[in-house]
Amino acid sequence: MANSNLPRRIIKETQRLLSEPAPGISASPSEDNMRYFNVMILGPTQSPYEGGVFKLELFLPEEYPMAAPKVRFLTKIYHPNIDKLGRICLDILKDKWSPALQIRTVLLSIQALLSAPNPDDPLSENIAKHWKSNEAEAVETAKEWTRLYAIGA
Amino acid sequence: MTLGSGGSSVVVPRNFRLLEELERGEKGIGDGTVSYGMDDGDDIYMRSWTGTIIGPHNTVHEGRIYQLKLFCDKDYPEKPPSVRFHSRVNMTCVNHENGVVEPKKFGLLANWQREYTMEDILTQLKKEMAAPHNRKLVQPPEGTYF
Repeated sequence: MANSNLPRRIIKETQRLLSEPAPGISASPSEDNMRYFNVMILGPTQSPYEGGVFKLELFLPEEYPMAAPKVRFLTKIYHPNIDKLGRICLDILKDKWSPALQIRTVLLSIQALLSAPNPDDPLSENIAKHWKSNEAEAVETAKEWTRLYAIGA
Repeated sequence: MTLGSGGSSVVVPRNFRLLEELERGEKGIGDGTVSYGMDDGDDIYMRSWTGTIIGPHNTVHEGRIYQLKLFCDKDYPEKPPSVRFHSRVNMTCVNHENGVVEPKKFGLLANWQREYTMEDILTQLKKEMAAPHNRKLVQPPEGTYF
């Protein structure tokens, strides 16, 4: 059916994601669409997102691995490189994508982005401004949002 | 050409399909006579949309700007969105009381396919305005709403 032509590479990646998950990351394909993954990323320690469980969704387009996976946050998050719809500004998801990268590397990069917000390449102008003008306060807001939306959800 | 069709075996999930439609809508479509955008930028599920159709030439609709509401539920695009005119209009496929585009009288909704998009709906409604059974119908005053 819908999944019968799933490329071997995707099957391999999926098996490895399930058998050897990266620390703080889980990704599992949906039953009815093996290209569509439910993802959870734990907020990294010593980041404003610590203690939070962030839900994401990931989709491997037909062109994958020649094109990057599509990923977005479903959990609300206060971060200069993530917009209100959960879309993520990350170079490897756009022009720096390479077929040598994998779902795992993408998710690890997103986890790293949570530890190292980059307000100089913003997706959310307002949040980036906040980050640059008063980082301590922006970090407090990010912690607050983590408590509100990413804990116990 | 069709958004989100992507070949026979690859099914683009709802949310990514709507993100594609959002981006396409933001870039602007064709000659600009149909357009659409999301109502609530905070709604992560992207349910409510407003569409606009500029009435086609050589019809009673010419120069009029029609606003529509489209609602994409959780089962979109397996199921079509619900579509209703916000601006008052007199068309055979539109309910006169509430502006709802009635699927029974509008083939695209009645015979909905997953590949169809909100753009397709708006474009087809614009064509419908120019169809012989609609192009000369007496219209309610401009700028009135259901």
